[in-house]
Amino acid sequence: MATMEFTEWIRGRTDEQLRALVSARPELITPVPAHLEGLASRAGSPSAVARVLDRLDRFTLAVVETLAVQDGPVSKGRLHELIRAALADQAAPTEADAAAPAGADPAALAGSDPEPALSAALGRLGELALVYGTDDALDLGPGVRKVLDDPAGLGPWAADAFRHHPPEQLDEMADDIAPGTQGSGKERLAAALARPAALVESVSAEARGALDQLAWGPPTGRVPNARREVRVASARSPIEELLARGLLAAVGEESVTLPREVGLWLRGGRVHRGLLAVPPPLEGATRDKDLADRTAAGQAFSFVRSVEELCERWSVEPPGVLRTGGLGVRDLKRTAAELDLPEWVAALVIEVAHAAGLIAAGGGVDGEWLPTSGYDLWRVRATADRWVALATTWLHMDRVPGLVGDRSAGARQERAGGAMPTSGEAGATIKRSDERDKALNALHTDLRRASAPGVRAATLGVLAAAPGLAPERDSVLERLAWEQPRRRGPLRERLTEFALREAEQVGVTGLGALSAHGRELIEGGDPAGVLAPLLPEPVDHVLLQADLTAVAPGPLTSELNRWMTLTADVESKGGATVYRFSEGSIRRALDAGHGGEELVSMLTRHSATPVPQALSYLVTDVARRHGRIRVGTASAYIRCDDPALLDQITADRRSTALRLRRLAPTVIASRSSRAALVDSLRAMGYAPVAESLDGDVIISQLDSRRAEGPAPVRTLSSPNGLDPEVAAAAVRALRAGDAAHLARREPVETPSGQVPRGPATATISALQEAIKQGVRVWIGYLDSQGNATSRILEPARMEGGYLTAYDETRAAVHRFALHRITGVAGV
Amino acid sequence: MSDGPLIVQSDKTLLLEVDHERADECRKAIAPFAELERAPEHVHTYRVTPLALWNARAAGHDAEQVIDALIGFSRYPVPHALLVDIAETMARYGRLRLEKDPVNGLVLTSTDRAVLEEVLRSKKIQPMLGERLGADSVVVHPSDRGNVKQALLKLGWPAEDLAGYVDGEHHPIKLLEEGWGLRPYQREAADAFWNGGSGVVVLPCGAGKTIVGAAAMAHAQATTLILVTNTVSAHQWKTELIKRTSLTEDEIGEYSGSKKEIRPVTIATYQVMTTRRKGVYSHLELFDARDWGLIVYDEVHLLPAPIFRMTADLQARRRVGLTATLVREDGREGDVFSLIGPKRYDAPWKEMENQGWIAPADCVEVRVTLTDEERLAYAMAESEERYRFCATTPSKTQVTEALVRRHLGEQVLVIGQYIDQLDELGEHLNAPVIKGETRVKERERLYQAFRDKEIQVLVVSKVANFSIDLPEAAIAIQVSGTFGSRQEEAQRLGRVLRPKADGGGARFYTVVSRDTVDQEFAAHRQRFLAEQGYAYQIIDADDVHGGV
Repeated sequence: MATMEFTEWIRGRTDEQLRALVSARPELITPVPAHLEGLASRAGSPSAVARVLDRLDRFTLAVVETLAVQDGPVSKGRLHELIRAALADQAAPTEADAAAPAGADPAALAGSDPEPALSAALGRLGELALVYGTDDALDLGPGVRKVLDDPAGLGPWAADAFRHHPPEQLDEMADDIAPGTQGSGKERLAAALARPAALVESVSAEARGALDQLAWGPPTGRVPNARREVRVASARSPIEELLARGLLAAVGEESVTLPREVGLWLRGGRVHRGLLAVPPPLEGATRDKDLADRTAAGQAFSFVRSVEELCERWSVEPPGVLRTGGLGVRDLKRTAAELDLPEWVAALVIEVAHAAGLIAAGGGVDGEWLPTSGYDLWRVRATADRWVALATTWLHMDRVPGLVGDRSAGARQERAGGAMPTSGEAGATIKRSDERDKALNALHTDLRRASAPGVRAATLGVLAAAPGLAPERDSVLERLAWEQPRRRGPLRERLTEFALREAEQVGVTGLGALSAHGRELIEGGDPAGVLAPLLPEPVDHVLLQADLTAVAPGPLTSELNRWMTLTADVESKGGATVYRFSEGSIRRALDAGHGGEELVSMLTRHSATPVPQALSYLVTDVARRHGRIRVGTASAYIRCDDPALLDQITADRRSTALRLRRLAPTVIASRSSRAALVDSLRAMGYAPVAESLDGDVIISQLDSRRAEGPAPVRTLSSPNGLDPEVAAAAVRALRAGDAAHLARREPVETPSGQVPRGPATATISALQEAIKQGVRVWIGYLDSQGNATSRILEPARMEGGYLTAYDETRAAVHRFALHRITGVAGV
Repeated sequence: MSDGPLIVQSDKTLLLEVDHERADECRKAIAPFAELERAPEHVHTYRVTPLALWNARAAGHDAEQVIDALIGFSRYPVPHALLVDIAETMARYGRLRLEKDPVNGLVLTSTDRAVLEEVLRSKKIQPMLGERLGADSVVVHPSDRGNVKQALLKLGWPAEDLAGYVDGEHHPIKLLEEGWGLRPYQREAADAFWNGGSGVVVLPCGAGKTIVGAAAMAHAQATTLILVTNTVSAHQWKTELIKRTSLTEDEIGEYSGSKKEIRPVTIATYQVMTTRRKGVYSHLELFDARDWGLIVYDEVHLLPAPIFRMTADLQARRRVGLTATLVREDGREGDVFSLIGPKRYDAPWKEMENQGWIAPADCVEVRVTLTDEERLAYAMAESEERYRFCATTPSKTQVTEALVRRHLGEQVLVIGQYIDQLDELGEHLNAPVIKGETRVKERERLYQAFRDKEIQVLVVSKVANFSIDLPEAAIAIQVSGTFGSRQEEAQRLGRVLRPKADGGGARFYTVVSRDTVDQEFAAHRQRFLAEQGYAYQIIDADDVHGGV
């Protein structure tokens, strides 16, 4: 049986090969199966197969499909012939329109031999355990055929296609097309269809046209009343001609399919056409590397600045959290206007800041979006490091800011309409019916798409393959279609577009080409080190001008930046910043507790030019009037015509708790309530009378608020696949488990011929023996849930009713309760 | 990191560091496609607008040159989005063309059918277009040439006007350069206009815009209609033209309230052109009275709305607009460009000053502290009366008198908004007052007396804001103004900017009441000049009284 063969084949793989397998297909060891048989059966499960097929490129997938349309194992030589015939440069024998895909240069491939590519593909497929066997008999692993419905756009074999037809009808058809043959109708039909040349040639031109349409897939078509009974003699329409001859098989009330034999014949025996053994070349403008790097660095810088500005603004005026979660449309619009960015870029900035843990919902019952304490840590880091933190987050986050503003119903439809929804994309969200047709908000949970990080990585991978090139969108899509042919559909195309435009905004690409620091980022190098020299140096001065503007000719140092933002309004942003001083902005600085003279001296200190008179006048003018009238609150006051008595009260030690403040010789204000004040004064021996209330001074300062507690840590998918150590451990555990699995089937000599129950003396002595000799043993063990498991252990010591041992199955030292050990056996 | 003088901002402004060694080179490179917005002392601000980009295209620059200039001079990486935007904007120009068709007259043709279809669907444009001549062209009513251009500009598909101009009736005009010469920038301005066909020349007050007009006429060699703001200005134009060109008095006609002469060169006032009788503009026929080869709009920033509409019909004639301050508080700068033509020449004020073509000027803001009674009265004034009140306080009058005394012996102009205030000042200073009701003859007599230094102090209302040529005025004192008008401030400064015979400087005082709306308006009024690099010095009224 194929499954057994496959399991044995798996078991025969070297450790290294197994490590490669689980590294490439990490889903096979989450969780680690108990033994290799488990691994083999998991490798054949539909979801695991679908996942791994999704990762194959066009050519490798074509090899799989070619194998899938074969009845059984084939030799490598035969496979080679089939693949060679399918290549783009092979003239199509029957199809004039077998044009090579746009962009491919057939001349470059002319006469190419697919052998190296085929060998590489087979090597990879073997590594993935999709193809097994020897070069003489290669076959697909179990489960693969099942997952590939309509491989390469070919329908089912005739035997399958006609499975549900009534035998009488099949007999009639067989009589019509293969008179005088022996056997059941189905067999005769299948035999006739295996060599369909004569049959196909006997139909009318219209019918032939219909066949040609289905020839290169998809193999099914829709016709009304597909199950009608027709005979060759009585066929009236082209479809009836085909149905009567079995060239089309009805597979439903309204659908017909082309039997695989016929499809293959129509394709001239080839499985594919226009196949490319190498990825299609990328097309686009070439960019000067330095210029692209600088542009990307400039963009990286402004992206960091946008995030910082966002957090600063939100710390003062936080937008509310919607009842459904997320950020209101109006708040997004306002933020976009404030940041001077298009809305989609603002959404990107917000989403990245959120995913990076810089903003979170917090504060109050209704909730507000506030910067987190993580933001304070982020803010003090070097610009390059801050960028790396943001860019890394962007690369791995599963949120898709580009979807903001989409109708949620539309988004769902799109998911359903994706050509082949992968397990990640299907069922990403569950929607409540009352949210239907609502535009998606930024920061809403519906913006998650599990496939987003993968698409981003794939898209940047394409860019990385073409240094200095700014590939066009279509070219990238075409390349991705070759690299991941099974992962297509409108959502993925949009995600790719989003990835391209977002990469530019984040500063990973510059002028459309991958930048040096972007490359370091995706390859796990040192992006900060590469980026830092490209970033503008912070400057510590501004240029003050008589028209009441100030120009910062570069990014300001953090302190000066905060200071300028406080005292002046930003008029224009970019490499430099233009500020305008106005009465309002100066007043804001004064309100924050700065004095007029302090402002002037600060300006003098940080200006590369003399402070213009107009500006110093403005400051002094505003300062002169500022605070002349003062407003405050007090809960109660003490009034007395005799200042000496008030002196006495303020001097009294007991009055400190009352927090008294002398406003005027005859007035004291207090923050205590009137009643409390009266009581305290009475207690101090005075005889106050209650009266009605007034004022003192507090400095108003804008409060920077923070969300409480750390932002939720988001789990991000690992960028570079499986950690090699994890893979090694998994293989170790599998081997051990497999050994255990096999051991259990043929138990080695046990004391009583059978595994004893309970912590019998035999168990303990066997374990003691094992400890003394330092050998491995197999044990039966009941875990805390009462499940019987088996482990391979290297016992270390035994004390207090527990066995401490190295558990090979789990590659760790564990303690086992002796009373739960159901049995011991040598390995 | 390159060390260029230019910083490109994401909002499409360009910051040019003036003291940088490559600043001049950079200025020349970006001038064709960026508008100078502000020119204070250290960093000049230019703005890349669609209009400026299209003008650059019209002048033969392509997107690549623009982008090269930006990248070449920029200190920091230029935002990619901005480069893309520039390329896209410039690519929009010239998809549509207005051409002259020998059979159908004026036609709009397109090299991009989709654009033509889009434009044809616009409700605003449909009525101005005639028969469709095929897939790529459509007839335009000749009278709507200007309107179509204006509407297309608004749609973002500016049409390249290749239909040319009528030559007009030939009339010989020559510059007589005797004892004077055309200054280099005047020649450049006139040439730039002529090569461009139509357009606006922006030169500071006192830089000799009339001469540029005369030079333009000498280029055209055709009958010319000159539109000016008022009669006094019309007379000045006439005098100037007789002096500078081969034209004689008989060849120049005046078309104003009092005279209706139509001669080869006719000078008309905006006022008479916009006079309506029974709801009809009765003097419109002047535009068709002759086959004008050139129309000159003086002080084009003041162009009244009806003349805008008339101008739209005159697109086949060459037009030149002259102004010092192309800021309109009504924001219709764009209409000036689309109807008169793009800006053909622009010279920053400070640059002119450095080259000595206009007198160096000090601007001084004198802050007057109101007395306690005045403050109380101000606080109680009705809100619509407040500006008037604080602009005309007795404290101001006293300070103004002190200032005049301080400049005894110099030619002083006192300029204000409110007649009562001016009358009072005239009385106190013992000086004649020119206001709206003063007859033209009397005005001219007084101006002449002032020029001849028979009168040393002249008090004028806003009638003297523009176009009045008083070369020897060295001191101007502004006591009140039209609220926050930026161009008024600049024009008033312009009265004293003619280079002085002794090469001395000019001084412009503006007297402002402290802590009132007067001060707020003053700050707004000063913006244009401050952006041109005039730094106002602020002094206190007490210093004036103290005689510092």
